[in-house]
Amino acid sequence: MAAEKLIVAAETALKPFAVGAFTRTPVGVEAVVKREDLPAAVKALVDARWGYLSAITGLDHPWPKAAKPAPKPGETSAEPAEPAGPTEDRLEALYQFVNGPVVATLRVSVAYHDAAVPTICPVIPSATLYERELQEMFGIVVQGTPETSRLLLPDDWPDHVYPLRKAYKVSKA
Amino acid sequence: MDTQQEPRKTFVVPIGPQHPALKEPGHFEITVDGEIVTAATVRLGYVHRGIEKGVEGQNWAQAMYMLERICGICSHVHATAYALGVEALAGVQVPPRAQAIRVLVAELERVHSHLLWLGVAAHEGGFDTLFMYSWRDRELIMDVLEGLTGNRVNYSCNVLGGVKFDVDQKQSDAIRSAIDFLEPRTHHYLKIVTTDETLIGRTRNVGTLTAEEAERLGAVGPTARASGVARDIRVDSPYAGYPSFPVKTITAAAGDLEAKFIVRLEELFESYRVIREILDNLPPGDLSVRVKPRLPAGETVSRVEAPRGELLYYLRSAGGPNPDRVKVRTPSLCNWGTVLATAAGHKLADVPMLIAGIDPCFSCNDRLVTIRRRGDAETWTWARLRQYGIEYYR
Repeated sequence: MAAEKLIVAAETALKPFAVGAFTRTPVGVEAVVKREDLPAAVKALVDARWGYLSAITGLDHPWPKAAKPAPKPGETSAEPAEPAGPTEDRLEALYQFVNGPVVATLRVSVAYHDAAVPTICPVIPSATLYERELQEMFGIVVQGTPETSRLLLPDDWPDHVYPLRKAYKVSKA
Repeated sequence: MDTQQEPRKTFVVPIGPQHPALKEPGHFEITVDGEIVTAATVRLGYVHRGIEKGVEGQNWAQAMYMLERICGICSHVHATAYALGVEALAGVQVPPRAQAIRVLVAELERVHSHLLWLGVAAHEGGFDTLFMYSWRDRELIMDVLEGLTGNRVNYSCNVLGGVKFDVDQKQSDAIRSAIDFLEPRTHHYLKIVTTDETLIGRTRNVGTLTAEEAERLGAVGPTARASGVARDIRVDSPYAGYPSFPVKTITAAAGDLEAKFIVRLEELFESYRVIREILDNLPPGDLSVRVKPRLPAGETVSRVEAPRGELLYYLRSAGGPNPDRVKVRTPSLCNWGTVLATAAGHKLADVPMLIAGIDPCFSCNDRLVTIRRRGDAETWTWARLRQYGIEYYR
């Protein structure tokens, strides 16, 4: 099958950088990579001419749940199992590459106190908009990204307030 | 500013951000050396409404109605991408009739969106006759969509697990007669955009994006296809009813603005064909299946082909009644980069057409433009910049 071939090609390119086994998903394949390996892993996919970067998705995994002020009822009842069970507040960035029907996701996880990932703009210049969005919404510093001015949030938005983190509560205006 | 070495050049022309009809109003700062653009940057977010955050507080069904309102032009694709993701997480099979109706509405939406774009692009080029005609014709599709769904925009055709309404014979006939009228009109428009000297002067060899550039910049949809990059999610990863009603990818090699006209217009013929095919072969059966209010924990990515290109949704469920995370990556975000890259080297007068070329819903109303010249600020409206472009080429 064409999709299977694409998945295998992605796995071959990412093999040197994947931490642990690849995870097959209904839409493709996932690999956890260390953040220092991220630019090299992205370059491996680009060099293999494997699809294109479609999105960078940020995720927030606060920990421990109980210590957070008043989570909404029912919202945090059954978290999906996290790789290696994080025991601290963590943020995750998913680099979603697509090729035909297949989505290959690189997962990079960082702690709150060290929330930074290297830029991939030298390899994929168009990632700049996605990186700026990640930086503004989740407070993951993208080291070396060429442009850091505000992209989406208002000019008067306070510094160090990241609206897509779980701790940010939407007030009912 | 290096005004001491080069006292006469490099002005920054800010364009935007006010475009009330658009989900992504962009503020562009265009650096010009005399008449020639040397660099361009974009600032988005003027109507960033925090929808990704907003849906985290809603249940799975409510979230769809909010997501559908991300875009007034292509609302259906947002609801479809989200519904497909939710259905994948829930592990339900949507009946084939519902999937076919989703495709039917998606293609009608594409027709209205492309005709809207044709008008806008023609208007930015100063060709208001074409604008008037294409928008008059687009009204037929709006009427059809209203007859079908009750709304001209935000059709709200989807429910989680299927669609809300059926297509009866009367509606089917109305769609057919609209398509029968539009098909020859589209042939006529295709002839105009490829033969009208004044329009060609604004489009041919303007804003050329090579296939390599399009790939490098991650362009999607008609913007990529006009540069010969065959990216079409309907073909690459068929969803909803597209496995049963396949479409053909339309590409053009030139990569200039004219190619963007040609690709979008030729796509209309493909849409007309698929719409007729669906009406002729609508599968029998139910319109929806039940989706439980709580979804199992998990993640999924769903992708659909919006009129402007690939739309990507990432959904994450924590097992509760609300989405844990919904990520939306709209096609315009991918395509802004192509404007910034191609603008350099072009005349300021070409900028309105370059921006309109990616179809960022750049439509109605005046927008503020400020020309800064060594401290003096002169304010231009969008209308004046547009007029400047037209006068320049007169």
